[in-house]
Amino acid sequence: MISHILKLIWNKKSNNSLLIIEIFLSFLVLFAVLSYVIYNTDRLSITTGFETENRWLIYLDRNNDGMDSTAIAEMKTTLKRELRAMPNIEAVSFTNGVGPYSNNTWQSSSDDMGFEIFSRYVYADEDFEETMGINVIEGRWFEEDDVNATYEPMIVNEFFMNEYFPDKSMVDSIILFDGDKRVVGVIDDYRYNGIFEEPVSTSFFLQPHTAERASIVYLKLSPNTPKTFEEEVSKTVESITKSSSFVIQDLSAMERRNSRETWIPMIALLSISGFLCINVALGLFGVLWYNINNRRSEIGLRRALGASRQSIASQFTGEVLMLTVLAVLVGIFFAVQVPLLKLIDIPPVIFYRSMLYSALIILTIVVICALYPSAQASRIQPATALHED
Amino acid sequence: MISLQNVSKVYRTKTIETTALNNINLEVPKGEFLSIMGPSGCGKSTLLNIIGLLDEPSDGAVIVAGQTVQKYSSKATSRFRNEKLGFIFQSFHLIPDLKVIDNVELPLLYRNVSGKERRRLSEEALESVGLKNRMNHFPNQLSGGQKQRVAIARAIVGKPEIILADEPTGNLDSVMGNEVMDILMKLNKEGQTTIVMVTHDENMARKTNRLVRLYDGSQIQ
Repeated sequence: MISHILKLIWNKKSNNSLLIIEIFLSFLVLFAVLSYVIYNTDRLSITTGFETENRWLIYLDRNNDGMDSTAIAEMKTTLKRELRAMPNIEAVSFTNGVGPYSNNTWQSSSDDMGFEIFSRYVYADEDFEETMGINVIEGRWFEEDDVNATYEPMIVNEFFMNEYFPDKSMVDSIILFDGDKRVVGVIDDYRYNGIFEEPVSTSFFLQPHTAERASIVYLKLSPNTPKTFEEEVSKTVESITKSSSFVIQDLSAMERRNSRETWIPMIALLSISGFLCINVALGLFGVLWYNINNRRSEIGLRRALGASRQSIASQFTGEVLMLTVLAVLVGIFFAVQVPLLKLIDIPPVIFYRSMLYSALIILTIVVICALYPSAQASRIQPATALHED
Repeated sequence: MISLQNVSKVYRTKTIETTALNNINLEVPKGEFLSIMGPSGCGKSTLLNIIGLLDEPSDGAVIVAGQTVQKYSSKATSRFRNEKLGFIFQSFHLIPDLKVIDNVELPLLYRNVSGKERRRLSEEALESVGLKNRMNHFPNQLSGGQKQRVAIARAIVGKPEIILADEPTGNLDSVMGNEVMDILMKLNKEGQTTIVMVTHDENMARKTNRLVRLYDGSQIQ
């Protein structure tokens, strides 16, 4: 029966070509959209490596006119102490100007070890772990005494370890990375540019809060801290820094804004694809109805020659399924060029998964659209159909 | 071979009741070539459809090849039609998108017959109607007589015991009609195939073993 259906399809190739093109193009659009969606949503299950709830950030005024480095250090020490002493504040920490969701990165690479190591840099003080809920999976976070260590301490994320030193522990080892550095700890991750950010090797270096470039203050607040508390924090910061040019931001709100930038186009594309699928489904449904109505005498004949109702239904479903498989195979031929030729720099497995899902979605739509008309075809009375011609 | 006992067929709608066949009793022994004649609308095709299990009688019993057909399930009816019956139609009913050989193969598609065997049997059937050289043509490349011969090849490819022909020469000129009739008579004589043929043509009917006339759904001869 399969070869018979193939013959029918081949002999009606000019009639079928439009349907094949429609399914082929729909496959390609679905493939593109699903690749984008899978690429982004895959990372939703990976930890970002830090907490955003009950966290506020204060972007300090970097213009410390009239203050020398000693004064700045004293001011920041006072600020940290005073903030920490406030009710509702459980922890305070400072980093350099590379803050979450800023899309700013400070990165460097080094081949001192005989192979290239690339990493993003983040400078943070010893309280950053507690303040941001960083998860240290091996070793430890920075301590105050690390400032005086012989080798500059560094903390790396798991991605860094897997990328450059897989299958061995490097904690307490010295590595050559922009000078001698001692790895004191490994964290799971710190994807500070959002939940959709691709994992990348990240290194932390100790930067005391007194440093001039420590310009972002992180606050860990008690749960259910009222929004009005921001005013008290603002007054405290203003009185200590003698500046009103600072900004307080709620980290969870920043996260939501950041996520929206990816969610919105993703939902828009999915909606467009959804409409496309509905269009394809309606088109298929129409084509099938038209075909069945045009082939009533053929159906009558087949029934007269011994085809059961089930054979008729299977034949019509089979015809449209084979057309779809053909169109999808052509689609896969083109789609597979993207990972094979590395046209887009994302993991090839995403494209292969997208191909699979696109094919499954299209086949499911086709089967659903084919079932009812095929069942109707099988119910055609042969005696009636044979005399309609 | 075929036995119709008090067969009636009534078509009912909400407002009208139409009697297509009225108390038909008919016996067709094995190997007989029977023709059915009558004016248009007298119930000839309905009778043929009932014998061919394409329609069910409203009343009465139909026994074909020793089987009371009302007892069949839909699937069993299909199998019975496939194995025991061959159909020839006035308008040929060839599938235009299939080559001649593929059209002839059709009944064997619904049996467990290998592709190779299907091909062999179909070529054999086409040979018997003198059209083997046209097996790779499409129906629209054939004349009316050739199309009907292809339809005969399709009807006999499964070696049925009974052939039901609904005005097989109705769309053909007399020369082609005679050619087709000769083939049917040969099948009847040489293969002992039982044939029931509906026709409007007295000349064709006279060539058969027996003639049954219908008028307004009733058998008058």
